[in-house]
Parts: sequence; structure tokens; C-alpha cells
Amino acid sequence: MVQYFQDIYSAVSSALVGMTITIKHIWKKPVTLQFPDERQVMPQRFRGFVHNDTTKCDACNICAKLCPVDCIYIETEGKGKDRYMTRYAIDYNKCIWCSLCTENCHTGSITMSHDYDHAVYDRRSLVYEFMDPTEGKVPCHRATRIELGWWVEPKEDKSDGDKGAES
Amino acid sequence: MAMDTKKTNGWADQDDVPEIKSELLELNMGPQHPATHGVLRLLLKTDGEIVYQVTPVLGYLHRCAEKIAEGVNYKQWVVYTDRFDYLAPMCCNHAYVTAVEKLMQQEVPERAEHIRVAVAELSRIASHLIALATFGLDMGAWTPLLYCFREREEILNLLERISGGRMLYNYMVPGGVRYDIPEDGWVKDVLSFITMLETKKIKDYNQLLTYNKIFIERTADVGVISKEDAFSYACTGPVLRGSGVKFDCRRNDPYSVYSKFDFEIPVGLGEMGTVGDCWDRYMVRVREIEQSCRIIRQALDTLPEGPYQAIELHKPVKVPAGAAYTRTESAKGEIGHYIISDGGQTAFRNKVRSPSFCNLQVVEKVGVGQMVSDLVALVGSLDIVLGEIDR
Amino acid sequence: MGGMSDQGLHVTGAALMATLMFTVMALCAIVFTWMERKVAGFIQSRYGPMYTGRWQGWAQAVADMLKILGKEDIIPAQADKGLFVFAPILVLLGSLLAWAAIPWSPGFIAADLDLGLFYIFAVSSMVVIGILMAGWASNNKWALYGAARGAAQMVSYEIPLALATIPVILNVGSLNTQDIVIAQQGGMFNWFVFHDPFLFIAFWMYFIASIAETNRGPFDMPETESELVAGYHTEYTGMRFAFFFLAEYANLFLVAIIASVVFLGGWWAPIPGLDFAPALTLVIKGVLLVFLNMWVRWTLPRVRVDQLMHLCWKVMIPVTLLCIVGSGLWMILSGELG
Repeated sequence: MVQYFQDIYSAVSSALVGMTITIKHIWKKPVTLQFPDERQVMPQRFRGFVHNDTTKCDACNICAKLCPVDCIYIETEGKGKDRYMTRYAIDYNKCIWCSLCTENCHTGSITMSHDYDHAVYDRRSLVYEFMDPTEGKVPCHRATRIELGWWVEPKEDKSDGDKGAES
Repeated sequence: MAMDTKKTNGWADQDDVPEIKSELLELNMGPQHPATHGVLRLLLKTDGEIVYQVTPVLGYLHRCAEKIAEGVNYKQWVVYTDRFDYLAPMCCNHAYVTAVEKLMQQEVPERAEHIRVAVAELSRIASHLIALATFGLDMGAWTPLLYCFREREEILNLLERISGGRMLYNYMVPGGVRYDIPEDGWVKDVLSFITMLETKKIKDYNQLLTYNKIFIERTADVGVISKEDAFSYACTGPVLRGSGVKFDCRRNDPYSVYSKFDFEIPVGLGEMGTVGDCWDRYMVRVREIEQSCRIIRQALDTLPEGPYQAIELHKPVKVPAGAAYTRTESAKGEIGHYIISDGGQTAFRNKVRSPSFCNLQVVEKVGVGQMVSDLVALVGSLDIVLGEIDR
Repeated sequence: MGGMSDQGLHVTGAALMATLMFTVMALCAIVFTWMERKVAGFIQSRYGPMYTGRWQGWAQAVADMLKILGKEDIIPAQADKGLFVFAPILVLLGSLLAWAAIPWSPGFIAADLDLGLFYIFAVSSMVVIGILMAGWASNNKWALYGAARGAAQMVSYEIPLALATIPVILNVGSLNTQDIVIAQQGGMFNWFVFHDPFLFIAFWMYFIASIAETNRGPFDMPETESELVAGYHTEYTGMRFAFFFLAEYANLFLVAIIASVVFLGGWWAPIPGLDFAPALTLVIKGVLLVFLNMWVRWTLPRVRVDQLMHLCWKVMIPVTLLCIVGSGLWMILSGELG
């Protein structure tokens, strides 16, 4: 019988304690952001969509080999000095944002951007062509055409340890 | 409780009541079910609310990760370990790189070890917060879920600042960590966050959920995993410790620099019911969060200067032929990596012993004779991650 | 001739009242859906809907209703079609009919019944049949579980719900809802909730039972989204689902209004002399109780089905019975029986 009343008492009191905690939050400012209007500032090292600057890229194919999911497609024509890159595409359906491609790029052309929202209507739209196929053969060191929206140039981070990128 | 309900079926034995034909109801709980934490499917045989048989059916999230390990090199496979236990990827990273380093007999710089311990413990806290949150949600309490996610968000922000990834970090590499600690006050932010967590937030969770009478009624004496069951089903982690066994790889088989730090191993004490019930497993996690905070504080306070990588990032990892097994304590339990190398670029075989897989099997025994609601509590308290079970 | 026109007037009046009640119900659903999201949002330190309709996302519920109207209406192939279609209507009807006996302000009542309170409890128990019907007709195991639990729960909780109002009926000596309100005239301390300690307990018993009766908060056994997927309305889509939704929020407001009428002085303002907007006063009281209900819902974990029954039969019914006896004794001892 004592247990019965103790149970009722503890049920009521613990419920009231919980309710005081929840009611306190009503007056606090919410912690969430109103996403499309307010955006979180991405930290320096944030790994967003991969960007390749085809002006620097020399189509060495290392990134494509290192990619664990094989999402980078590089096609070239010719040999030696006449080697042209005809296609540099990244399939973001497959990309896992692991950054293995960037840390081994000896030209520093491939970088992780701070761009993260690319909702598309068609999964084919997620295959990004960094070379414009309409221009035909372009030497590997020519201007890039496809710019990512919201592209943020990652600043030089001294503590990054990513020295391999510049060498 | 369960036994009482069983007895009520006995009225059909009386002579004046015609015999009622009854059969067990087969019920598919999952793979698309809100309480199965992903794509677990539980095949139930029930009599009303009482469960007579539980069979976990796995494989809905199988991604051949172990087979892929034979095709990608050691550094590339780190990204796959992220995707095992996606709630505590740092712990999985740590488990794998420890195994590779053992095989390579690679010394790891002290600073790297400290950073590893700090981020792995942060990841453990994040995972335990999710465990508390979803367990509360299984019990029907919505608000603790959002509160725990709020704190987890802070951890994700911190880990994002150090590693660049939000959930899937790919932060550790054999021989060290990928980046050093950023110079924007990361250490200070981590310390202030864990202080806030220790002093304020855990108290809030306790008041809101842990010591709530309804929650205690739902979890105490429910889904009791005895010490013997826990041993025979090879349970590890909070599930084993919830059953009152003081075993933790960080203490009993120390790896990394855990032996340097002072922390306690919380075990289930049966405060609200029997040792090994759902409440105990829940409470072990709450206490482990506090202990993780202690470890992080020690690791960051004694952070040595020096290099953070033994092998430069763009250099390949060369692994000699041989085999190595390591076990580490992830948030879910003991995670083991067995790597056989033939000296080539890729592993010859990589076997992962995942804690959730072993922990889940116990529902087959403990779930029987319980109510459907209790089964939900049991599965919630095991804190399984399907990414790890199916791999 | 005169009789005919009287009858005609009566029919027109009834039709008008029915339309009004239905509009109130639909409004309830829309307003309370929005309110629930905002309350849940702020309790959980987030915003809730913010975009639809600019100010605090007020039009979100309207948009949802429009969306739900445009959805495909699916009846499962193995379902019992007749029952499946009829169940949501019955659920809606149960809560709609009860609105007739609510006294909004002096004389403003759709059906001034002598057995008003009794009528309300009688018709609102039809909801149980609707829920059982929905669960059975869906031919889904989860729905059946939800329906069985829901039937057990609602039938049980109707007892403390009705018992908790008996002390008030003893005090008033009438089941007529208008009489009950009139008996509470003259400020806050004449309300029955503060009449004597037993009535105070009875009020909270009523409140807890009403949460269970509306299948919400810690007692949402028929739905239990973490166990039974969505309970009895697992298979329902589109408009039919909207009917359940509408009924839930209409019921929520209904029990709050009944609590205000029976315990919280109905249309009387807390301070005598401020009774210039009786219907508004009643609505405000109702909304406050609904807020309390939501606050409880977003705080507490859910009880298990056998604990639910334990609470009903072993705690609430004895306590409400005690309240009846206690309140009766109080009446005798305080000399109110005269």
C-alpha cells in the first residue's frame, strides 16, 4: 500500500520535473537555422563538392585511380606534348566526399569546395562535366567552363598539413 | 507482467466455455518500421501482445564492404570503415588503422594518438547521445530526441572543423591523423562543450527521461540480459557492461594511449530493477558519456607537441605480408579487425567483427515471452546500427 | 400553418447549427495542428513551420489540408470496403455530435438537453466503434493491434472520465450543461475546480482520462508510432486519413471545452464583471487546456498497454470513486444540502 502511494507520488513529481524543463525551452531562442535564408558558415576544412580547375589539370589520372568509388572519368587523346584532355567528369551520385583525390593531386587543380546543396531533378544532372564538349579538343591547360554555384575558394590553411597539394 | 497476461488465456480450459481455435500471429516488424533503427527485420510470432518467437532477419543493408577491402588499398578502405557504424565513425576509423598499424609495426606519434583518442571519444559521446535519444523515442518521448540531437550537432560541428566531414570523417590514416588540430581555438571549444555537457545537459536528460517514472516503468525489469546470456551471445560494450560485467577494451586490453588516462568503467547496478535490464544499459551509456568527457579533458590537457603523421599523406602505405587482429572499444562494443596481407597493395582478406551483430542476436533469447512494447524497448536498448550489422 | 413554419424554423436552425459546428471542428483541426507544431517546435528548441503564410507559418495547416485532399485515395485490395469507408465517418460523427450540447454562452446552445452531459459521453463513445472498425477493416496486423488496444483503452477510460464529473453533478443536481455553468457564477472561486479538494482532484483525474480518451500524449496506445507504425489508421490515406486527423483534434478541443464547462466555470470570466465575451472566454479556457495537453504530450514517454490499464482500473477509478464519496460528504458537512 505504501508502495502504491509512493508510485503515484513519484509519477506525478517526475512528470512535473520533466514539464518544467520543457516549458523552459519555450522561452529560449531555437537553435535551428532557417535553412535557405540562414546558412551555417562552413569551417575551413569542410569537404563539399569536388571542384577541378581544368586550367591547371594535366590529366595525370591519379585522382581517378585513387578514388575508392571510381567516380572520376578522365578521357584524353594523343600522346606526349600533344596530349589533350577531352573529358573530365565527376559523378556526384557516386562521390563519397572522402578527399583522397585532392590530397594526392600534384598540380593542386582538384579541391574540395564549400558547396554542399545541389538538389537536382534528374540523377544525370549530378554528373558534372568540367570540360565543355562543344569546344572540341582543348589543351589540358585551358580555361574551365563549369563553375559550381556557391563556390568558395578554400583559403590557404597553414595547419592543414595538405602540403602535397602544392608540391 | 508478461507472465500475468499469459495466465489469462487459461479461461478456455473450463468446461462450459467452447474451445476457441487460436493460432500465433506472424508479424513482420520491419524492414520498414519506425522502431527497428534502420532496416532490421524482426520476424515475430505473437499471441496477442506476447511475443513467442523473434527471428532477426538481416542483410537489407549489405554492401560487401569486406569484399571491397580486397579491391581497394589500405588508405582507401578507411572511408568504408566510416560507413560501418555511421554514428561513431571515428571509433571505426580508429579500429581499422590500429589493425593496419599493428600489421605494419608502425609507430604512431604521441600527438596523433592523443588527437585520435579525443576525436574517438567525441564520436562515442555523439553515438551514445543518439542511443539515448532513439531509446527515448522508442519509449514515446519525443523531446529528449531533439535535445540529444542538439548536443550531437555541436559535436558534429567540432569534428567537422577538425576533419572536414560532418558524419563520415575519413580522418585517421595509418600512421597518424589526416590533419592537425586547427588553430582556431578548437581545443578550447571542445573543453567548454564537454563542461557544458557534464554540468548541464546530462542533468537535463536525467530529469526529463532517466528518472521519469513512466520511463522507469517501461525499462526497469524489461529485457533482462543475464551475465551468462551476455557471455554466451558474445555481447560487448554497454550491453555487456549493463549486465554487470566490468569489461572494456580500453582498460582490459589497452590500445592507443588509453592506459595513460584515468577513467572508470560504469556497469549496470540494477538500481531500478534487475541487473541487465534496459534501464541499466541506458544508464551505462549516460555514465559513459561522463567518463568520455573525462578522457577527452585528459587527452587534450596533456596534448604533446610534435608530428601528427608518421607517413606523409600522399605516400602509399606499404604493408608487409602477414596477419594481424586488433580489438578496440567502439561506442557499440568491441570492434575487431582481422587483416591478412600478402604484401600487395590491397588486403588479402579483411574480416570485421562488429559489435552490433553479436549484440543483436540476444533478442532471439531475451525477446521471447515479452510484450511487443518491451521488445521495442529491448531492441532500442541494444543500440544497434544496421550499417555495422550488415556491413 | 404556424406549426409548420415553427418546424421549418427549427430545421433551418438545426442545419445552421450543424454547419456552424462542422466549421468549428474543421477550424479546430487547422488551428490546433498549427499550434501543436509550434508548441512542439518551441519545446524542442526549434521553430516549427515558418514559411507558409509568412507569419510563423500560420497557413501550414491549411496547405496540409489542401495537400491531403489532393492525395490518392487508396483502399487496400483485401480490406473490407464498406467498413473501411464508413469507419472514418463514424469517428468524425462521434466527436461532431457531442458538440451539440456545449453551452457557448447563455442560451447559445445547439441542443439544450436535460441530460446534456450524459448525452456527450454517450455519443463520444461512438469513436471507439469507429476505431475498432477502421482497424478491423484495414486487414492489416498493425492496424488490428492498434484497434484492439484503442478499444480497450477508450472503453476503460470512459469510466473515470464520466466518474470524475459525477461530483459536479452531485453539486449542481442537474445534468444540463447550462445549469452546470450557471451554478459556477461569481468569479474564479465559485468554479467547481476550487470548490473543494475532492473536486480539485476530480478535475485532474478528468484531465488525465481525457488525454487517454483522445489517444494522445503518454497514452497514445492506438497509434504508438514506434511500435505499431501508425496503429489503426496505418492503411488510410488522403481524405479518409484527414477525417481521423480532424476527429482527433476536434476531440481534443471537445474534451478541453467539457472540462472548462464542468470544472472551470464555462463562459464565466475568472473575475466577476468581466463577462462581456462569454463564448470567447470559454474558447480561451479550452485553448489553454489544449496547450496543457500538448505540453504533457511533448514531455512524457509513453506508457505500456498493461500499465495503462493498471493506471485506469487500479488508480484512477478508485480515486474518482473516492472523490464522489468525499465530495458528497463535503456537501453534507458544509451544509450545502440544507
